[in-house]
Amino acid sequence: MVDVLIGVSILLPFIAGLLCFIIGNAKTRAAIIVTTGVVLTASALMLFQNGPCTYTPETLLGVSVNSIITFFDFALLFIILGIAFKLGNPLVILLTLLQIVPLAYFELKMAPHVEVAPAFYIDNLALIMNLIISIVGSLICIFGIRYMEEHEHHLHLKKSRQPRFFFFLVIFLGAMNGLVFSNSLLWLYFFWEVTTFCSFMLIGHDRTEIAIKNATRALWMNMTGGVAFVGAIIAIFYKTQSVEYFSLQNLINHSPEMTGFLLFPFALLCFAGFTKAAQVPFQSWLCGAMVAPTPVSALLHSSTMVKAGVYLVVRLAPGFQGTYLSTIVATFGAFTFVTASALAVNMSNGKKILAYSTIANLGLIIACAGINTPAAIIAAILLIIFHAVSKGLLFLCVGTIEHAIGSRDIEDMRGLYNTMPAVSRITIIGILTMMLPPFGMLMSKWMAMEAAANIPWVVVMVALGSGLTVLFWARWAGLFVSGPQLKEQELKKESAIKATILTMIRGFYPNAKWNDPASIKIPLVLLAMGAIVLSMAVPWIYTILVEPVVASYRPGLFVEPFKMGPFGLSSGVGAFYVLPVFLLSIVAYLFAVIASKKNGHRVVSAPYMCGEQYPDPSQPKFRSHLNTWRDYLAGNVYLQEFIGESKISYWINILSLIILIVMFGEVVR
Amino acid sequence: MNTFDVIAVIAAVFLSPLVGGLVAGIDRKVTARLQGRYGPPILQPFYDVFKLFGKEKMVCNYWQIFCAYMYLAANILTVVLLALQSDLLLIFFVLAVGGVFLVIGALAAESPYSQIGAQRELIQMLTYEPLIILVFVGIYLETGSFKISEIVANYHEPLLIALPLLFVVLGYAIVIKLRKSPFDISTSHHAHQELVKGVMTEYSGPYLGVIEISHWYETVFILGLCALFWHTNLIWMSVLIVVTYFGEILVDNITARLTWRWMLPHAWTGGLLMSFANYFWIYAKIK
Repeated sequence: MVDVLIGVSILLPFIAGLLCFIIGNAKTRAAIIVTTGVVLTASALMLFQNGPCTYTPETLLGVSVNSIITFFDFALLFIILGIAFKLGNPLVILLTLLQIVPLAYFELKMAPHVEVAPAFYIDNLALIMNLIISIVGSLICIFGIRYMEEHEHHLHLKKSRQPRFFFFLVIFLGAMNGLVFSNSLLWLYFFWEVTTFCSFMLIGHDRTEIAIKNATRALWMNMTGGVAFVGAIIAIFYKTQSVEYFSLQNLINHSPEMTGFLLFPFALLCFAGFTKAAQVPFQSWLCGAMVAPTPVSALLHSSTMVKAGVYLVVRLAPGFQGTYLSTIVATFGAFTFVTASALAVNMSNGKKILAYSTIANLGLIIACAGINTPAAIIAAILLIIFHAVSKGLLFLCVGTIEHAIGSRDIEDMRGLYNTMPAVSRITIIGILTMMLPPFGMLMSKWMAMEAAANIPWVVVMVALGSGLTVLFWARWAGLFVSGPQLKEQELKKESAIKATILTMIRGFYPNAKWNDPASIKIPLVLLAMGAIVLSMAVPWIYTILVEPVVASYRPGLFVEPFKMGPFGLSSGVGAFYVLPVFLLSIVAYLFAVIASKKNGHRVVSAPYMCGEQYPDPSQPKFRSHLNTWRDYLAGNVYLQEFIGESKISYWINILSLIILIVMFGEVVR
Repeated sequence: MNTFDVIAVIAAVFLSPLVGGLVAGIDRKVTARLQGRYGPPILQPFYDVFKLFGKEKMVCNYWQIFCAYMYLAANILTVVLLALQSDLLLIFFVLAVGGVFLVIGALAAESPYSQIGAQRELIQMLTYEPLIILVFVGIYLETGSFKISEIVANYHEPLLIALPLLFVVLGYAIVIKLRKSPFDISTSHHAHQELVKGVMTEYSGPYLGVIEISHWYETVFILGLCALFWHTNLIWMSVLIVVTYFGEILVDNITARLTWRWMLPHAWTGGLLMSFANYFWIYAKIK
């Protein structure tokens, strides 16, 4: 059973991707994508039901799996080399050669045909990742069906390029599943390179000049990580002279006397994770990835690609617990958190805000991995889960809005609630789940802060970053509702209770229709509901999913950092009453809704303009000189003069490079 | 939940606005005396709020009503959690909910005045939030817990002795949080500093009353935080609260409003330096 499920999780997307590529018919393709999504979700749930397990596939169609992967590994690297020559980019050529040559030397001379048993090691962390990839990833692919239709309609393409697009989009899921299941470092490396390659193809999908430029940047930056990965593989063999440590589990649970030998490979692997997770100074590739169609951004940011980077660091964390490497990783992550949050503050481009916020949250996850206490690892895993759902949702929302209003600038989303109430409401939910209690992101951030409290400089950076986060999210949520009261929104004679129930379902503006097709509606609604329901279920997610991960890390040593109490979780150092706070929030919400929907005398007036406002309150105008009516408009403060992107990026890159140099300097010493 | 908790919750919900209103009344009286005026009666804030509730309901947008009540709810919840001696960081996060909804409500009206007020309020939040977290981390480093109940139970010295610099940082944060001069940037209660009331511009009548009551809860919460610095003795606790609040009123009256461009870098550098100095102090003592 397990073999079938693992096979489905990894191979089905590859097969479905090929079918998407071959079949030109849009309807059939859509059916394939939806079916793949459903099957992947089902298989992830069944695999989860089955629990942790290990599995080693011997042969696939009569050929040893190990050889297949080695073959495709080199094939992929040569394809990238070919592309690099076509691009005429010496840096990419160099980086590819730096992987091919050492890897060939390793395979031929050093340790041919390394067999690792078990090849797939599926613990709770892998199961959680599998669930995220299969469910969130599939929803994003389904969203892509209709989105790409509209996208190509906007571009006036003669020949549809969707087969190619969905080929890469769908196999991305398979590669990610392979990545999180693999126990063999060599297999992990293969899937790692597949995700790099897919992201390159997807970012450059539109083939505009900027798309190709940004795709190339993404490629070379991730290839640096790939080089570090190969370096780690060789360093492990060189330092230990055994193939034992090519099993991730052996690598993590090494004996104490091996720590000194393995610290350098650990640092290299962490570096590879940093590049993939777009940590500073590699943040520019993820920001550049914004040129791709929205489903790509959503997929890269929420459930795949960048999550592979943090997955690797979180996975390896117990291996370097208590070393200076751990402290530096924590510092590095916290530094990324605060700087990326600062950069997000001075963005007005909605997608760039999301991008920097992703980088910031990944930084926080890496900081948690570096803090490396059981509580911190739990915080990291919870952050991965909640971030995937909320961020995937927000990207899909911005994509939908962008198609409707033709802009992704948040200043243009002013008052959008009046014209697109449903999508705006879901976006606001997405934003609130990212920043406010009692939602999961904040709950995890709380855990992270309590875990970080023992390293003052880390907690300071987390505190500053957290303040910056509130700034850019709150302002964005506020902009959506900024606008005049519409006539249609006026109250009808209905009871407060009925109005409240209707508000919960349809918002403050119950007459508005939501005209988007089902393939857009369903992912949005499901993800929004998921973001709320998962937050409420935090105590259970913790006990069932997350705690076993940490318990298995340190068998015997494990002290439960949080206890499941009648009111949610509580820990030795603090308490977080999730459920009561949730309950009170719902009561407060209902109360506020009833108050604002209550029948009775109420005057809707125009804003105060010193007595000079335009007679029609729905028009933002005031009487100016010579009795003319002029528009008024207020814009956001972006703190450009303090933390302008162009101003501080340079220094952020320098400082982060210094941290990285310190990291390697210490480890090599 | 035991009986004591129930009483604490009831007191927090019902007594806080009375205390907060009284403090506001005293504040106005002292301010008037400092300015050489006779000043309104101590109960004036209550009269004002009663009057506000009798006025016609006027809004630009229904979101304002929703946000006003969410602001109130979040502030009540912070005081309740404080009374239940809950986790400091949790209380802090709930406090942020209030601030966020105040801002969303101000942004909901299309008025440039309240929009600018909202932006400024966001910057004020940005300024004081890290400072308060730094203070809480300091309390954790000294006492080993974020939970107030455990701090009160296990730590038997006034925190002020161990964390004097962090108390100054807290004082700094309080001026910004309570929007007192020189940091009454998002909205000012001094007529000589601001004619149009920033973030509150578009709230009027009963909804302004709701905001006013929320502000009373906020005041009680802030005073509660100060009280934590001398939890061992009720008399000294009261003295600390009175002295701190009088200090805030004094600063409020002898300074003129500054811009956020001054506030943000200065509060952060000053706050960070003092926090780190105090952290070193704690570490030195442990070692």
